Amino acid sequence: MNDPHSTPETSGAGIRFEHVDVTYPNGYRGLKNVNLQIAPGEMVAVVGLSGAGKSTLVRTINGLVPITSGQITVGEFGLHGLRGARLRQLRSEVGMVFQSFNLAKRTTVLNNVLMGRLHHTSAWRTLLAAWKKDDVELAMQALERVEIVQKAYANASELSGGQQQRVAIARALAQKPKVILADEPTASLDPPTSHVVMRDLQRINTELGITVVVNLHFLDLARRYGQRLVGLRSGEIVYDGQGADADESVFESIYGRSLTAEDVLPETTAELS
Amino acid sequence: MTAVSPSTTTRTPSPTRHPGPSERPVKPSRLSSKLIWLLVTLVVVAAFWSVDISWDALLTLPQKLVHYLGLMFLPPAWSKLPDALGATMLSVAMAWFGTLIGIVISFPLSLLATRGLMPAVVRWPLRGLFAVLRAVPEVVIAVLMLSVTGLTAFTGALAIAIGSIGTLGKWGYESFEAVERGAIEATTAAGASRTQVMRWGVWTNAKPDVLAFWLYRFEISVRASAILGLIGAGGIGKMLVDNIQFRVWDVVGMLMIVVVVVTMIIDQLSGMVRHRIIEGRWELPVVTALRRRSARRAREESIELKAASHD
Repeated sequence: MNDPHSTPETSGAGIRFEHVDVTYPNGYRGLKNVNLQIAPGEMVAVVGLSGAGKSTLVRTINGLVPITSGQITVGEFGLHGLRGARLRQLRSEVGMVFQSFNLAKRTTVLNNVLMGRLHHTSAWRTLLAAWKKDDVELAMQALERVEIVQKAYANASELSGGQQQRVAIARALAQKPKVILADEPTASLDPPTSHVVMRDLQRINTELGITVVVNLHFLDLARRYGQRLVGLRSGEIVYDGQGADADESVFESIYGRSLTAEDVLPETTAELS
Repeated sequence: MTAVSPSTTTRTPSPTRHPGPSERPVKPSRLSSKLIWLLVTLVVVAAFWSVDISWDALLTLPQKLVHYLGLMFLPPAWSKLPDALGATMLSVAMAWFGTLIGIVISFPLSLLATRGLMPAVVRWPLRGLFAVLRAVPEVVIAVLMLSVTGLTAFTGALAIAIGSIGTLGKWGYESFEAVERGAIEATTAAGASRTQVMRWGVWTNAKPDVLAFWLYRFEISVRASAILGLIGAGGIGKMLVDNIQFRVWDVVGMLMIVVVVVTMIIDQLSGMVRHRIIEGRWELPVVTALRRRSARRAREESIELKAASHD
């Protein structure tokens, strides 16, 4: 449907949603008949109000939220009913970045990044923190890519929010993922730091060809960094197209009202000058 | 008794029963609170009558107290200090050994009692066991064990170990459950197994708290070991009770000083290590307390100054 931004040597995986429904145990319907095709190596921004189903959508891709009906295909994996070792294998190929960073704050940055290697680490190495040399090297390279390697042996709690989020990106990178999911990665950050984190994600997408799906609250960020924009409203896709094409009427369909100053990241212009 | 007070009906001229927004509310009755106070008073009075108080003994108490304090501390028998220190070593060893056994046994049990890790069928019996062990004092455990192991320092250590399982088990699963969900979600999303999530999602964040609890339990065990000595399990408590029986008051006085000083020193040292684990910095608890006090005083002074400058 969209121009797949992918070169033959990309390492990204494609994602396909077919008639996906998610109903939570309390009866709340998170997603309603979602159909979506994401090409390998594409960068997609998902926008919508709080509660529109953005978090549910990305969490179905790595099985953190199980789907009720329909099917999601990520690379070679079908998500419906996927369990146990196969589910863990899929998760090891899908990196995730969270709104609140989700680091283990009481250990080093390096250990946090190495947690991305857990799937490939044996039980005794896991228990004794006896990481493989290659994995440590991989983690260091991931930290270099997000330019925070000098903090490798610092405690995660000593880092600022922006630094913590970049460590979280390094952790996702250490998985050597085919897909990176980011659930409102800038929501706990100030505007300048938000741009740094978004640029990191964009660079990872273009340089490594990893498919990136990112939830965003702020529309200007979504338009600037997502080649493609997917608008969600009460669990349904109401827009799917190029970010640049999304005009006032599109925003009205996503947000149920016209665009206001509250929908764009404040101080953006100040940061750019 | 608890009916609506008549004042509302007499004061309000409006025919409606429901008070409007501008009307005064009915005074609440507070009957239950009054009943509880009555009950408490009755219990106190009953307790007062049931205990056989000998008033004349109470009159001579201050005089006797001075007399015995004089016997104990003017001067204490410092010549027996080496014996006392040896006995203290035994008590501390008893506490240390007992706590260690308690840690080894309670750690896996507290993991099994953690919500989200094990089903309720496993959790609740363990939590019940911890609760029962906490409810029984170490002395009672030791007395129950006497018939099996005899009256030795080892019995004391085992009693402390069993008592420790109760507290350490509870503190353990509470720490594991209180861990931030973030790292758990992140490790799960990275494809980690259940064991790996436990090791890196839970344990890394719970570790400082759990280590601190182990030390804190050791401090408690030191105090418990002195009491266990009183029933004959050896150590400083046994020396104390022996000397009380033979009315060697100056040794008793010296022993009391030793118990208090040694317990305080161990509390401070252990507290210092705990501070290092939690805050990342070495500091004696007494120093922490003094620093907080001076900081509070400085804050109060600055508030007073501000208030004064506003006048």
